[in-house]
Amino acid sequence: MRFTDYIEQSFSNLRKKKLRTFLTTFGVVIGIGALVCMFAFGKGMQKNVTDSFNKLELFNYLGVFQRSQDDQRNQSPQYPNKQGETDRQTRNLDDDFLIGLTKIEGVEWAFPEIRFPAMIRFQEEEEFSLVQVLPAKICQSGIVDFRAGTFYTSDEENSLIISDSLLRRMDIKKPEEAVGKKIEVSTLAIDFSLDNIPNILSFLRGQGLPFSRQSYTFTIVGVTERMGVSGPTLMRSDVCIPRGTSEKMKKLPLTNISDLFASTRQMQGYTAVGIKLTSPKYVEPVKKHLEDMGFETFSLMDQLEEINTVFIFMDLFLFAVGMIAIVVASLGIINTMVMSIMERYKEIGIMKAVGASNKDVKKIFFFESGVIGFMGGIFGLALGWIVSVIINLIINGIAVGQGVPNMNYFSFPWWLCLGAIVFSIFVSLIAGIYPTLRAAKVDPVVALRHD
Amino acid sequence: MDSDNLVEIKDLTKVYSSGRIEVVALKDINMSLRQGQFRGITGPSGSGKSTLMNLLGGLDTPSSGSIKVQGKFISELDHEELALYRRHQVGMIFQSFNLISSYTAWENVAFPLLFADVPKKERIERATEILDMVGLFERKDHRPAELSGGEQQRVAIARAFINRPKILLADEPTGNLDSKTSEQITQILSDLNKNRGFTVVMISHEESLLAEYADDVVRLCDGKIVEQETNN
Repeated sequence: MRFTDYIEQSFSNLRKKKLRTFLTTFGVVIGIGALVCMFAFGKGMQKNVTDSFNKLELFNYLGVFQRSQDDQRNQSPQYPNKQGETDRQTRNLDDDFLIGLTKIEGVEWAFPEIRFPAMIRFQEEEEFSLVQVLPAKICQSGIVDFRAGTFYTSDEENSLIISDSLLRRMDIKKPEEAVGKKIEVSTLAIDFSLDNIPNILSFLRGQGLPFSRQSYTFTIVGVTERMGVSGPTLMRSDVCIPRGTSEKMKKLPLTNISDLFASTRQMQGYTAVGIKLTSPKYVEPVKKHLEDMGFETFSLMDQLEEINTVFIFMDLFLFAVGMIAIVVASLGIINTMVMSIMERYKEIGIMKAVGASNKDVKKIFFFESGVIGFMGGIFGLALGWIVSVIINLIINGIAVGQGVPNMNYFSFPWWLCLGAIVFSIFVSLIAGIYPTLRAAKVDPVVALRHD
Repeated sequence: MDSDNLVEIKDLTKVYSSGRIEVVALKDINMSLRQGQFRGITGPSGSGKSTLMNLLGGLDTPSSGSIKVQGKFISELDHEELALYRRHQVGMIFQSFNLISSYTAWENVAFPLLFADVPKKERIERATEILDMVGLFERKDHRPAELSGGEQQRVAIARAFINRPKILLADEPTGNLDSKTSEQITQILSDLNKNRGFTVVMISHEESLLAEYADDVVRLCDGKIVEQETNN
């Protein structure tokens, strides 16, 4: 038999039992649809993360932190007390260090990572937020996406950029409305000056730190899209202000709660410095250089592997869930094919009598299974795609209202589409093995014996 | 035995065993067929006629003994070779027609060509031509249920010889038909034998039909040949 004959025969045989074929194929459609959906979701999440990393050139980013005093003590056996030890201990993340950094090969620029808590007040609405100091130079480098307005051009301006999600929390729906408006940033600072006597007194009584509140007025120049990625992204606060302006502000430098207590001891220098490298290939050498100097480093390249492991587990889990549907669908195929063979017992006898070999008979039923798989694959893919569109609409409908940017949670790479169809055919053929062997075993003498 | 014989059967024995019970269907059959012969086979039920037919048709394999067709021992062929033998050397006709009910007349007739790798266009042409030969051109698109018994058997005959086999094996082809139609069907087989040179083996209870059309008749009883007579 020719290949086209097998295909034609399969389709015409399956058409004869329309309802049964439809139901069986529908089982496969649901199975493949579920699997495709699961996979597309896994891949979509992975793509979103990797894409945003790539877009932000986060793989070119290296974070440098001062090793805490405790860490230095704990790790001292690894750092024998040789010459240079003092160098390590006294080295601070200060401006001189920053200038020195830019001279290392592969470093594009380095900037201090300063964040501090502040109360943001805009048009009668108040929100607490961490304010990040972002040098104008970095702001201009095209790393930040603006929804409205643009970046500040000098480090001395009283301007800031704000994320649209914070604005939305403050009931501003249209980003462009905020541009050019005044906004108030109130900082907290530990203040032992005479102006702050009531707070100092309560501090002395053990009732909290002697904070004072200081208000500064800024102009909103740009509204950005907040990146939904955790970790040291370049812009990881909802509000960014220029460096020069920030230096003039009284504030509590804070990147995490421990800084609150560490700050008194380590006042000189920054707690963290961000380094932008010209290419990810410099991550390792620069990292090693800085670690040799006694600093702690952080790079997303290290995290990527971890992230990928998480995604592999996620894929496996989703695959397992999808496979349940596939297994059920295969049982449906086996059932249908066995039924079909029982009904066509005599027909198989006739096939053999007119010269069909066991191989021919096997192939005929194998092709029928394959056709069910093929149809199931095509329509399953379509179903998966439709479901993903619906889920996207629903999630985005809910999420956008809560300030999360509109995004596609599913990804359908070409290999997934092709793979779904191939896999569906493959599974159907596997399911077809047993019925096919049964068909080939039919004894024509018995099948043709007149009743 | 004459080496010109198309078929030579030697000491053919077929034993069916179901569980511990063994049934001897055929016992030491020796028989030969000449090219172009019309051989009738008769005998009571259970005499082994159909078993002989299935063995000759390559649907079954003998317990012992041999069948030689055109110098080849078909009793020694494997599954694949046996399929080729059935495809090209023999055409089988059954009492219950054994047509595929969901196929039209021409599809049934063309069915063997499917396994002979004949392209679809040629399959249609040949099936139509052969249906015309058995007088069913007008009925080619009808399904078996829409055809009379005689018509169905003619479709089955057309199917049996579409692959131009050497031998036509008819297992009680008139068993389900009235006497007039039986006559017609046997006439068609006789025509195929006389005009187109097919060697025909026909099993029948109706000895009068065999007496009229067959060159000779073999009588089986209890798996053995009890009588062989030549007509005319």
